[in-house]
Amino acid sequence: MDLKEIKALLRLMEGADLEELEVAEGDRRIRVRRRSGVSSMPTVSGGPRHGGTPLPAATGVAPEATGLAPIESPMVGTFYRAPAPGADPYVKEGDLIQKGTVVCIVEAMKLMNEIESEVSGRLVKVVAENGKPVEFGQALFLVEPA
Amino acid sequence: MFSKVLIANRGEIAVRVIRACRELGVGTVAVYSQADRDALHVALADDAVCIGPPPAAQSYLKLDRIISAAEVTEADAIHPGYGFLAENPHFAEVCEQSGIAFIGPPAASIRLMGDKAAARRTAEAEGVPVLPGSRHPVQDLEDARRLAREIGLPLIIKASAGGGGKGMRVVDSPEDLEPSLATAAAEAAAAFGDASVYLERYLADPRHVEIQVLMDGKGNGIHLGERDCSIQRRHQKLLEEAPSPALAEAKRQAMGQAAVRIAKAAGYRNAGTVEFLLDPRGDFYFMEMNTRIQVEHPVTEMVTGLDLVKAQLRIAAGEPLRMTQADVRVSGHSIECRINAEDPERFLPTPGQLTTLRLPGGPGVRVDTHAYSGYHVPPFYDSLLAKVIVHAPKREEAVAVMRRALDEMQVEGVKTTIPIHQRILQHPDFLAGRISTQFLMRLLKSR
Repeated sequence: MDLKEIKALLRLMEGADLEELEVAEGDRRIRVRRRSGVSSMPTVSGGPRHGGTPLPAATGVAPEATGLAPIESPMVGTFYRAPAPGADPYVKEGDLIQKGTVVCIVEAMKLMNEIESEVSGRLVKVVAENGKPVEFGQALFLVEPA
Repeated sequence: MFSKVLIANRGEIAVRVIRACRELGVGTVAVYSQADRDALHVALADDAVCIGPPPAAQSYLKLDRIISAAEVTEADAIHPGYGFLAENPHFAEVCEQSGIAFIGPPAASIRLMGDKAAARRTAEAEGVPVLPGSRHPVQDLEDARRLAREIGLPLIIKASAGGGGKGMRVVDSPEDLEPSLATAAAEAAAAFGDASVYLERYLADPRHVEIQVLMDGKGNGIHLGERDCSIQRRHQKLLEEAPSPALAEAKRQAMGQAAVRIAKAAGYRNAGTVEFLLDPRGDFYFMEMNTRIQVEHPVTEMVTGLDLVKAQLRIAAGEPLRMTQADVRVSGHSIECRINAEDPERFLPTPGQLTTLRLPGGPGVRVDTHAYSGYHVPPFYDSLLAKVIVHAPKREEAVAVMRRALDEMQVEGVKTTIPIHQRILQHPDFLAGRISTQFLMRLLKSR
């Protein structure tokens, strides 16, 4: 089961307005589940393509559905949780953050861009994966607004 | 050959480039705005990266996000398509600096030919005829008046940094010079960020004939014949054909050789197009050079049997040209009709959802499109929906194939320019090959 097939499944889910879809092929199985009121976004992956690399489940979130506000990436690049390798992450789950708090770095074209939160509240979930590419508009964190 | 190419574009040309890459075994990365999530180029590419919200200025023109997308997907080359960043020399430079191959000419050639006054000087230096005009951008009103006396009227004011019909004004009488200079400069500043303009003799009703060139950057350059693109509305091409009904073989070779000389003098590499105007006597004059693959490239592909996008990829990957000028064969006749999602009466774009899309097929018909049944045509970009291209042994047969193909084609949900094309294809002047740049405007006025 390769990435293209998984992306096609996501689109199928969206088109048919499904909440959950499970596909089995031989001894491989993939299940994708959507939160209600959400559109699934294809996420970017960097590096060589290998069949069987699972995609994270849908990352777009509608605040009305879950009460959580996403912090979205304003650029394309690589997501890092900490200012440098080995250093403490800028924020962790449970932290209280303000609008303007630096929450992560997105590295683009050799520049480390500090990303600031647009919302104040409690950081509930780190959604993006450290060291992995992110695209414009991709949810990085989920915040429970204050 | 590259292992992965990022296509910095959208719509039909992005699909075109992806197709060439697939056939060469090259991986593909699409970039897309939030309005293009369901676009065909996104579905066809191996990988896709969202680069911004719908407006082009915040997505397809965001050089930094595109480079970044190439970096995170480990693409080793970028194809810029046409429009957007394709003729932005800074973009070509940043690609090279980032270690990513730019599938196109060197930045210096883009910059040289992008300066229309400098491009004219290059042609002149190669002994290619240019229309009487200013050798440098206009300094001030006095300079303009002096030039106008030398050049003669009517003349046209053109943006040095421009193209696409913007920043142009025709001046028929001396008292129009001052106000037209002001508006042309203002338009040029708004469209291209550069108010400099130059002056040129204006031909009232020329033919627009352009030559396709391929240069490999290793000293080899060939031309692939001409395309006649005289059928235009407000400097926007609507129908193109190859060969031109106006050219005999001797003229074709003279123009072709002139085009290759100009491209060499510009240090050009990869595919490019040199545009000429032909006056009623058949004398040709250099107009400008387009340093990119063009929308109408398929008509050249149909008559030569060559894949120009694959040629672009090969040249960019460092391969020498596989053909000499003697190997180039032009066979038969090809016509392309640009089907735009526009109201055919008022030419206003009509975005919307394609509730029905039935594309033509059969012998001699090729359709290049990103549209599909159910596709939402977004309002943020140009209105080109599909290119219908036909090829047949003779011009009359090509016209018959195109008329048949456009009759078969059905598009519902948006309006299209198909009715205009059908009128053109029945017009006696068109059928006789008596076309020039005013042809379409005359046809539209004569309802």
